[in-house]
Amino acid sequence: MRLTDEEKRILDGEQGYLAQKCMQFLVAYGEAAGAERLVDIDGTADLHPGLKSSWVPDYRITIEEIEEAAKRGEKFKVPTFANKPIAPGFVVDGWENCGTWPNSDPEYHKKCLQNIKPYIKMGMVPTLSCNYYLVSSYWPTVGQHCSWGESSAIPWANAILGARTNIDGCFQTAYLGKVPAYDMHLDENRVATVLVECEAELKTDMDYDLFGWAVGEAVGLKVPAIVGIGKPTTSQLIKMNSSLNTGGQVRMYHIPGLTPEAPTLEAAFKGNKIKQRITITRSDLRRVYEMLNYASTDDVDFVYLGCPHYNIQEIQKVARLLEGKRCKTSLWVMTNPWTYKIAEAMGYKAIVERAGANFLSGTCAGEMRGEMPPAAVMATDAAKLNYYMTGHLHPRKLEVWYGTTEDCIQAAITGKWKGEWR
Amino acid sequence: MNSGTEKIVLRGRKVIGGLAEGEALVSRKPLMGWGNVDEKRGFTTERNHPLYQVPFKGKVLVFPEPRGSGGFMGYGRTRAYGVNPAAFVYREGCALTVLAAMIANIPTVTGFDRDPLEVIETGDYVIVNGDEGIVEVFKGGLQRQS
Repeated sequence: MRLTDEEKRILDGEQGYLAQKCMQFLVAYGEAAGAERLVDIDGTADLHPGLKSSWVPDYRITIEEIEEAAKRGEKFKVPTFANKPIAPGFVVDGWENCGTWPNSDPEYHKKCLQNIKPYIKMGMVPTLSCNYYLVSSYWPTVGQHCSWGESSAIPWANAILGARTNIDGCFQTAYLGKVPAYDMHLDENRVATVLVECEAELKTDMDYDLFGWAVGEAVGLKVPAIVGIGKPTTSQLIKMNSSLNTGGQVRMYHIPGLTPEAPTLEAAFKGNKIKQRITITRSDLRRVYEMLNYASTDDVDFVYLGCPHYNIQEIQKVARLLEGKRCKTSLWVMTNPWTYKIAEAMGYKAIVERAGANFLSGTCAGEMRGEMPPAAVMATDAAKLNYYMTGHLHPRKLEVWYGTTEDCIQAAITGKWKGEWR
Repeated sequence: MNSGTEKIVLRGRKVIGGLAEGEALVSRKPLMGWGNVDEKRGFTTERNHPLYQVPFKGKVLVFPEPRGSGGFMGYGRTRAYGVNPAAFVYREGCALTVLAAMIANIPTVTGFDRDPLEVIETGDYVIVNGDEGIVEVFKGGLQRQS
């Protein structure tokens, strides 16, 4: 990798021990990735605050080192936002009555909050969410280089905003404001190589979730140009992005007329001939739906909503469905801490809690690694969480239902799964 | 029946250097991490996956590409529990495979002149030269010379 004189000086320790250590990581990472150089982040970075905000243990910046840097008054070089805390993941709001251990323990909560304080002191905005970009009040713009770390958020940066990022947001990239320039940072890797034509009429949020999975499975790491999906809502794009990066690894796509790098289909392919075409039909969506319905008994014990974290429209929908009702199963409704406060002010928190459910923020059932109400059968409206939960609980057996938000609320109220393919 | 094992040489790009060898364990389906890898026991826990609960400790783990969450790092963290593969060989990757290989710190090669999934089958004996980006495949495994 070619380094600039300034980067060489950082590597030599001229800007201190911490900068040197961060640069050692970036150089090793860039070389392993086959990058030729580093690029300055002119957009934004994100990281998972907590004990593991570094990817690679051999280059880990410890929480003690981060605390010392914060005390010295050091700051992140670029606008930096918080994904969900990990190591450990913890409930930020609503933990008092979540009923599971250790999250219901005040000491545990205090300790977890303590671990993210030095990051905040260094300038990290405590959005604490997988879809922090919804509440960050600040976005990278077209062409800006970023370092984001959340798989479901990556297409928001690359495809929706036209910014440029790989899945590598971490302490080191935010601290130095630099990242190896390869893959999604380079023009040639952002061009569509496969045309995906949707022949199914996508109507519900669930349709977009299933469609994302089907596309991800079909194209893997390729960059698709997607046509025939109508005008997806924000909720639908977020669901699609999440399952594009569960069924596959779609970091970048074009929707001609919608995403900024593709005003037209020709622009998506940069004038190249279309070499591969894939058609997604209603039966493809149904196949994914059947695969996600991984349960044999209609009795449901636990319903989880909020993967990715629910936005205010999704919370409003749930509150309307739950108003005046009483849940038979455990029900968790998860959002980011900022939307939590708005929902509380609008009375939705009270409605959810009066129904006997938990309104929570800042983490998810996956990141809590099986810490959840006792359940042999759970239900969720998220393909991503559905598919990971059986693994998180392994070798414990877990059955999982999948359907619309309405199906899930009905299951929470009646204790029975009645969702079916429509 | 030992008329010499067929040897095929693949040339690719170094991700992590070093030398390793072992039996190939080939996943034709992309590998997924987070909840769907057991980093303490060294196998995938993805339901429906052909390699569900098949240990990869000491094997040359061959796969087409990653899919899913940043929790793909779990394949690298197997190193902390002594259940890591001997090497990674993959067709195409992204930041997730690069970072997981750095965590595992085992010889890793990608970007080949031909698709490794078309050449390598489970049970073949594979020598991975990470420094040179060369992978030698002995079809059918090493046969005992008599």
